[in-house]
Amino acid sequence: MAVEIGGIGQSVKRKEDARFIRGRGNYVDDVKLPGMLYLDIARSPYAHARIKSIDTSKALAIPGVLAVITGKDLVPLKLEWMPTLMSDRQMVLPTDTVLYQAQEVAAVVATERYIAADGVAAIEVDYEPLPVVVDPIKALQPGATLVREDREQKDNHIWHWEVGDKAGTDKAFKDAEVVVKQDIYIPRIHVSSIETCGMVASFDKINGKLTVWMTTQAPHAIRTVIALVAGHLGLSEERIRVISPDIGGGFGGKVPVYPGYVLAIGASVLTGHPVKWIEDRSENIQADSFARDYHITAELAAKKDGTMQALRVKTVADHGAFDAAANPSKYPAGLFHIITGSYPFAKSFVEVDGAYTNKPPGGIAYRCSFRVTEAAFTIERLVDVLALEIKKDPAELRMQNFIPPTAFPYTSSLGWEYDSGDYGRALKLAMDKIGYAELRKEQAAKRAKGELMGIGISSFTEIVGAGPSKHFDILGIKMFDSCEIRVHPTGKAMVRLGVKSQGQGHETTFAQIVAEELGLPVGDIAVEEGDTDTAPYGLGTYASRSTPVAGGATAIAARKIREKAKLIAAHLLEASPDDIEWKDYKFQVKGVPAKSKTMQEVAFAAYTNHPQGMEAGLEAVDYYDPPNLTFPFGSYICVVDIDRGTGEVKVRRFVAVDDCGTIINPMIVEGQIHGGLTMGLAPALYEQINYDDDGNIQGGNFMDYLLPTAMETPNWETAKTTTPSPHHPIGAKGVGESATVGAPAAIANAVVDALAHLGVRHIDIPITPWKVQKILKEKGVAE
Amino acid sequence: MRFEGTLDIAAPRDRVWSFLTDPTQVTTCAPDVQSLDVSDPHHFKVVVRAGVGPIKGTFSMNVQFLELERPKHAAVLARGQAPGSAVQMVSNMDLSEFDDTHTVMEWSSEVTVSGMIQQVGARLMQGAADKITQQLFACIKTKLEASVPI
Repeated sequence: MAVEIGGIGQSVKRKEDARFIRGRGNYVDDVKLPGMLYLDIARSPYAHARIKSIDTSKALAIPGVLAVITGKDLVPLKLEWMPTLMSDRQMVLPTDTVLYQAQEVAAVVATERYIAADGVAAIEVDYEPLPVVVDPIKALQPGATLVREDREQKDNHIWHWEVGDKAGTDKAFKDAEVVVKQDIYIPRIHVSSIETCGMVASFDKINGKLTVWMTTQAPHAIRTVIALVAGHLGLSEERIRVISPDIGGGFGGKVPVYPGYVLAIGASVLTGHPVKWIEDRSENIQADSFARDYHITAELAAKKDGTMQALRVKTVADHGAFDAAANPSKYPAGLFHIITGSYPFAKSFVEVDGAYTNKPPGGIAYRCSFRVTEAAFTIERLVDVLALEIKKDPAELRMQNFIPPTAFPYTSSLGWEYDSGDYGRALKLAMDKIGYAELRKEQAAKRAKGELMGIGISSFTEIVGAGPSKHFDILGIKMFDSCEIRVHPTGKAMVRLGVKSQGQGHETTFAQIVAEELGLPVGDIAVEEGDTDTAPYGLGTYASRSTPVAGGATAIAARKIREKAKLIAAHLLEASPDDIEWKDYKFQVKGVPAKSKTMQEVAFAAYTNHPQGMEAGLEAVDYYDPPNLTFPFGSYICVVDIDRGTGEVKVRRFVAVDDCGTIINPMIVEGQIHGGLTMGLAPALYEQINYDDDGNIQGGNFMDYLLPTAMETPNWETAKTTTPSPHHPIGAKGVGESATVGAPAAIANAVVDALAHLGVRHIDIPITPWKVQKILKEKGVAE
Repeated sequence: MRFEGTLDIAAPRDRVWSFLTDPTQVTTCAPDVQSLDVSDPHHFKVVVRAGVGPIKGTFSMNVQFLELERPKHAAVLARGQAPGSAVQMVSNMDLSEFDDTHTVMEWSSEVTVSGMIQQVGARLMQGAADKITQQLFACIKTKLEASVPI
């Protein structure tokens, strides 16, 4: 029966794949409208420069170029600046100064895409270069080049944020037997979704209705932002329709509002024609929101026997030229204070300072729940530094310190209430699966022969599912999410949600929740997201929040339907509702299995034979405000071999044990973990966006920015434990980001482990062959 | 990036000086010049087509003589742009007489490149610069060493 329904726990094939594997997806760039114009953007070659003049005459002389928009043109419309999600503001187009390389300077609207690009090439801008600051630590020093002249505050400091018991933590460190300290840089990287960002904006001048198709992870929030930013121009929220069609990967990069969106909408309102803007690859990497870029100093205090006592962390966060991160309003450094990880620190204190630099804006959560990757990497790296210091096996040190399963719900010293966990079980499973003891023996034998092999562990704890309205909002909008279910007379259902899939498989997993709750086959349930005219309001998909929040809404909306359906079933079975039970996906008269009604029979009756006095129909909507966040966790173990000639790190084995609570679709979860592990491998070994002293991006294209492909990716071995969330309606925790969060530390720890006997204690990621070879040469062991 | 070198030219120093400090003459040796506009003895504007690896562009360069100490020393600032790229170049040239008919030119150039060319072509820059320099100096030598000035 369960298999036929395709309910929770079944590896139902992804319903959306039928169109994706046939090339029948519908992405923004597939949208073509009659009379559509194209927009392209001229960008600054300088990281910091005064604009002395912009000559658009040659561009306007090109046949087919209809308009060139500069910052000065936006001033009368009050559109030259737009608000960011973080109480800052960002230039749409500059009026006098550019603040980072590839910043938008002017936009060209033309009848064809190539003509628009020709127009961009013909724009002549006279720049006067200004001094550049790219290092956030230098940016915070007195006398540093000022990035933001428009602010009243005349320095590059954005905000200071701290949490924890400073005095208590300082005292714990003073009294500690062992203190380890490590500087860790988590480099700037980019989500590099395969589909770049884009929009088709279509303004109907007669009806005053704006329809936009765009690559956004949060269509409802975007609709509200458009109404807030452009309300004074007559764009009113009931006449704005945002449609997120199929999205080719988001990973956090499609949460913010980019100037190109505003320009495309502006151009459509101006011309009355639909306007399409699609970024190219370099624009996407160079100008869209980056991730990470945290300069961390972390200290851990412990007893000699390894008992962890206190944690102290100081961080400088580089936010580029505008604070355009996408964190919840109250948390400028996101949920970085999950940094106590899987360990019961009695005292801890964390502080973060945000800094402006002449680099592109952002600070988005790249496939992680708001700075959780930075936190997990730091604590898991620091635990290994402690293990080295006190000469203890890193697995043993973790086992010794884990928050015990009996301690949940556990409140951390930084204030989070962890819902559930069994960290020792996950690590033990990973150790058994990879053969940890044998590997340590092999390592010792190899080391004796001069071969370099390392074993790295990461036992991370995540914090996802933002979030409870008492703590979480973006621009004041609480971070609930929603689901609306309509069961049709023939027993088929339409499910609409406020979140938006970017490849996660929502059309399947949310259908499975409804199937489980209502006993309808998963194939009879259609899931639709991303159209603000039809879907209920929600904050969108990022930070692993879809299952914890919208999944909760789905289960509860389905249960509301089941409550009503029970009354109808009682009516049909001529029994008292109290005598009806839901069993084997049917309503039965208690103790009389022969007397039963299916949901399909009830649905038909809801429209044809409902009880007198009851409303017809079978629909429900739920706006779910989660009582707490969820805390997925896992233990990863990685084995690496290092080539002493080239310095190349080869991941020989990687075992990932994940615990995301109740699993809705094991196949989809495994796919999520495979993708996440690859996206964790990437920053560990390959990816970094660097800037030279003049603010030139080094890595603004796929020649210089190495995304791992099947060539680089090892064979992932996955396993699971299941510790349901006690507060979630179906016990699920969310898994989309666990692997991205957990993997980098396992890999870095393995490399350091391979070199630890040479005196190596830490290497900043990405651990490139160049860095390793340099160390091997210094230590005199290079071949 | 800094580039520097020495060039021996089989021509008297005065002749070398006159050639190298005259925009109309020296630009005849620059690769792919599209136009030249001399505004005054110290300033001129030249449009050249240049490329590094896959990125090619038309650079509109504003050139200014910062120092002119006839006949031995000159310093030049050149600043220009192509779509998505920008370049700034501060060059110094010192001429000494090896003998009446031979001049030694010591030169150096500090080049700052921004934007697309820098991003994509950084590792190709040296090769591109060497090629342009070789062409430029070969041309200068040929013209100056000819028995009849050409």
